[in-house]
Amino acid sequence: MKTEKRSFLLSIFLNKDHRWAMIWVLGVAVLGIWDIMFLNKPALLRVTNGFINTIIICLLVVIFTLILSWGLTLGLHFFQYRKIRSGYIVLTFILNLVRSVPQIIGVLLSYVIIAALITRGWIGGAGVFVLMAFCMSVFIFMEMVDLMRERISHFTKLDFYNAMKVCGISEKRIINSDILWKNSRIHIFNKLISVFGSAVFLQCSVDFIISVGLSTGVNTVSMPVTLGSLLAKMDSKQDILAIGNTLFNPGYLPQLFMQHLQGLTVAFLIVFSLFCIYSISNGYAERHRL
Amino acid sequence: MKENSFSISVRSDNRTIVSTDFFPVYQNEITFLFGESGIGKSVLSKSVYGLLDPEGLEIVINNKPYGLHLNNHWTKQVRKNSFFVFQEPSSHLNPLMTIKDQLNEGSLGGLEDREILSYLWQSSGDESVRKIIDIFPKPYRPSGGEKQRILLAMAFKRINALIQKDNPDEPSFFVFDEPTGSLDNNYRDLFINLLFSKFRACPFTIQIITHDYSIISEIYRSHKDLLRYIHFKELSRISDTQVRVDDFSPREYLSWLNAPKNHKADKSLHDTVLEVNPHFEIFGKSLSVFSDESLSEPAPLIIRKGEMVYLKAPSGVGKTTLAKIIMGLYKADKFRMSLCGLKVSQRSSPSVWQNKIWGKRAGMVFQHADEALNLESTVKETFKGLPLKIRINTETLQNKLLELFDPPVTKQFINKKVKYLSGGQKQRLNLLRTLILTPDLIILDEPLNGLDFNSVRKVLSLLDEKRALGSALLMISHNEEIFENFIDRRHIYHLNTTS
Repeated sequence: MKTEKRSFLLSIFLNKDHRWAMIWVLGVAVLGIWDIMFLNKPALLRVTNGFINTIIICLLVVIFTLILSWGLTLGLHFFQYRKIRSGYIVLTFILNLVRSVPQIIGVLLSYVIIAALITRGWIGGAGVFVLMAFCMSVFIFMEMVDLMRERISHFTKLDFYNAMKVCGISEKRIINSDILWKNSRIHIFNKLISVFGSAVFLQCSVDFIISVGLSTGVNTVSMPVTLGSLLAKMDSKQDILAIGNTLFNPGYLPQLFMQHLQGLTVAFLIVFSLFCIYSISNGYAERHRL
Repeated sequence: MKENSFSISVRSDNRTIVSTDFFPVYQNEITFLFGESGIGKSVLSKSVYGLLDPEGLEIVINNKPYGLHLNNHWTKQVRKNSFFVFQEPSSHLNPLMTIKDQLNEGSLGGLEDREILSYLWQSSGDESVRKIIDIFPKPYRPSGGEKQRILLAMAFKRINALIQKDNPDEPSFFVFDEPTGSLDNNYRDLFINLLFSKFRACPFTIQIITHDYSIISEIYRSHKDLLRYIHFKELSRISDTQVRVDDFSPREYLSWLNAPKNHKADKSLHDTVLEVNPHFEIFGKSLSVFSDESLSEPAPLIIRKGEMVYLKAPSGVGKTTLAKIIMGLYKADKFRMSLCGLKVSQRSSPSVWQNKIWGKRAGMVFQHADEALNLESTVKETFKGLPLKIRINTETLQNKLLELFDPPVTKQFINKKVKYLSGGQKQRLNLLRTLILTPDLIILDEPLNGLDFNSVRKVLSLLDEKRALGSALLMISHNEEIFENFIDRRHIYHLNTTS
């Protein structure tokens, strides 16, 4: 038991990715305790919901990205392998079409559709989360497809691919199990960490834009509260202005941590999470020599 | 006989790479060191010579840190007087210097090399040799064999310098790591002749690391007088990391080689499994199969049930290419074959191989186990997905592995990742993956690569069993001595280019 504990602590100390994951968790926990002590209850509830919703949607983005990219990669490979040119061309065209749309524009347009669906009462509750995540993953997953195709292309040039084929092992098994799972899962996982980071950034940006836009409108649509939408709220805007004010009036600093906690917490959670995810991804790549 | 003996342990990242209690260096004598690929022959020799980079490694020699070994008198003298010919000649040569400059680099400068080069290139004139040494060693030029001879020439320059000193007490340690790997038998014999003639002039310490057991026959044929100075040793595994240096019996090898073979020609079942048209074309080259050594009469390559056929050709002619054409991995410009009644030509669709040949009518063992196996799989997973008639569980797999691996085959071993196996173990696994199948034809490309003698015998006996059960086997190998003894002369084919 003692040895296990020691090796766990050692891995945190030695591995950059483990260290940053721990820093992230601890940072969020310390902030949570501070907020529990000093942030008013309704604001605390909003921030907590916003953070949890953001994380859930981004995790869903990761799952959808993996499913979409794996599926499309297999589709492209098998169209190519079985020499089905029409299928290959159609799929490549669709992919390139999606690729040509800037991510932020694509997600904004998707959110317009989601907002319309919510207004008409066609979707609600968990369905909104799923749809938001799916739309975002559609504009993110291409990078993963590129990575997977690159790995397949690399390994199919090696002898081990032909050696397995002539033994009668199915193409499906070689691609899925031997190339993508056994030889590429570290690369895929590393990319998924980046996808998670991109999702946090994209979601905060789009939610911020949407919320600012909707706040000037007559009706707000009941989309899930996220860190991005919270940042756009009036309180948070005041809090962010207060941070700027502190730069020129340092004496105001202690009040920031007491009176402007909502905006400060939201801004900190976004920046701190993005930085930690970036460091985790870097550390993971270093540890596995990618 | 003066013997320096070393206990050596090499560790990295809390993992023992290799360790032995006894590694002998016989002063002014010749040692042949055999053993399967990846067992640690090169690492042990490099550590004694002082060539291992201590960065990231924990090396202990004779229970002392590596630094003390590097600084002792013997090691310093050895490094001053001797030479280490690396296994892979390409990695030894600097691509930014001409070969001539490299032949005269450092302490090799000023030493005469004309005689050595002329001998190793078998040329009377200077011109053909100069063509090679005035160039930069870029890829593909010079060839692997030429690069190998350049390294040997460097070693011989150092040997000449040592002989000129004429001081038998001067420590020396010339290590030749797979010196004949890229040489054909003719050049191999030239190298051995020159090395031994130098040794006769003035004895010095030689260690030759090799898998080429046919070198033994050459020694018994042409250098019997030196046998009293020659030690045949073999590195064998005691545990995963511990190895032992044992005596290797050359007589056992020779008697095994010369034992009458039961070719069981009468057991041939006469059903033709494979028939390849004698002429085929690929990559703009025209190649033909011959049934006679004089290459006078092209003949179709025919393999019947229960037959083992050996395909011979000089290195680089296209033996592996033909195997890959048969297996549908290369598309020939002109080719025709019949495999168990299935007619196949250059026009056949790839789906023919996919649906009717791979794993059913034919299987193939690839040449380099390192590249042919999924290194991220475990031993057990290597057998997953094969089109087997029976379901393979841990117990049946353990029994199967025992055909080529020494007992006990533990559960820990079958759950070990392939990347952690030695080269010889990988090769045996590579063979078993195909031999566990029951296709009509099995093509084996260099099946004895990196194996020790014990494994060579096991593999050949397993192949013979397969053959006796009715499999047709096509062998491609540079181990001519072994296969010419093992296979009926009527079943030896030759491949060559034709105009």
